[in-house]
Amino acid sequence: MRLSLDGDKRAYAEILQETSRFLRPFLAKRLSFTNEVDDLLQEILISIHKARHTYDGNRPYRPWVYAIARFRLQDYLRAHYADQLHHASDLSEMEEYLHENVTETDISYEYISREVEKLPEKQAMILRLMHQEGYTAKEVAEKIGMNESAVKVAAHRAYKVLRQKLER
Amino acid sequence: MGNVDELIDKLARDGAAIKPAPHPYMLSLKWMGWAAAYLIVSLMFSGFRPDLASKLHDPWFIAEIGALAGIFVATSLSASLLSFPDIHQMRRIAFAPVVTFALFVLVMLFAWRADNPPAPLPVHSFQCTLGITMLSLLPAAWMFYVMRKFASTHYHLAGCCALLFAFSIGAIWLRLYEVNNSIMHVIEWHYLPMIAFGIIGLWLGKVMLKW
Repeated sequence: MRLSLDGDKRAYAEILQETSRFLRPFLAKRLSFTNEVDDLLQEILISIHKARHTYDGNRPYRPWVYAIARFRLQDYLRAHYADQLHHASDLSEMEEYLHENVTETDISYEYISREVEKLPEKQAMILRLMHQEGYTAKEVAEKIGMNESAVKVAAHRAYKVLRQKLER
Repeated sequence: MGNVDELIDKLARDGAAIKPAPHPYMLSLKWMGWAAAYLIVSLMFSGFRPDLASKLHDPWFIAEIGALAGIFVATSLSASLLSFPDIHQMRRIAFAPVVTFALFVLVMLFAWRADNPPAPLPVHSFQCTLGITMLSLLPAAWMFYVMRKFASTHYHLAGCCALLFAFSIGAIWLRLYEVNNSIMHVIEWHYLPMIAFGIIGLWLGKVMLKW
């Protein structure tokens, strides 16, 4: 670096190459994407170029470089997160779009049970066996003498009817 | 990767010989020298307080001026170190103003306790703050102008130290110029505003010294 301060362009290119080599893993550890690492690395190299008069060659080089790198990294992260916050929606803004209170509902277990009883007898029996007794579709089929796919079709039709009623 | 290599080539082509910045100690000495000259010239224009000879026998007055001088030296040193990205790898020295401020608070506490019965409050009030501010404006502007040529990565603290340094000049000047023995007045209208300006310096540092 001392040679480069004296105007040795080759020494300067070498020290910048070496700097980018040891800064790349430092940045890669802290950033998610390769393009971010490249962008920030370029910014840091420009900052090193601008501030090179503050390095006199009499003290270790790396702490000086890392001070600039950390400074630019903090700047970058601050801007990055500020940008993300800028694009984020406030929860209060979303409230007007939420039509229903999702944590409280008028639909109770008793209400669903009543609606199940109103279904055709076979469908109601299948739902009771599957959801109250805990049988699988195969076990229900064996129990009521139907084949498994017929049980599944009946259950599916029952769900459809129930969904329509509950959505009203 | 290709872009980085291209950039390095470009920077290397621009990399002409450059004069390194002076050592922070030299920078600080230079700042203190100019500031001391400014203080002397200001005192020559305004004149010294008529009771200065007797006040020089008051130990708490001497301690107060000494503590102010400590802040003057420490903030100058700290501002010069904070102008470098790596604090010139002398981080501990950069925090010297904390020690001098603690010392200053202690001195003021003892001076306040020793001020018994309390000296009468002067009739004026904010004029002191105004006087200190007016006198400190020039050194403050000059400090920021010089510090902008460096590359501070701690611009908040650098700005704070720069303003405290400038206002310590104003505070010393007023203590040596104004006939006033009230410690309460001095705390209220000289030193609390000085600390407030130090806080403003945190913000001003961000505005002026960001690079």
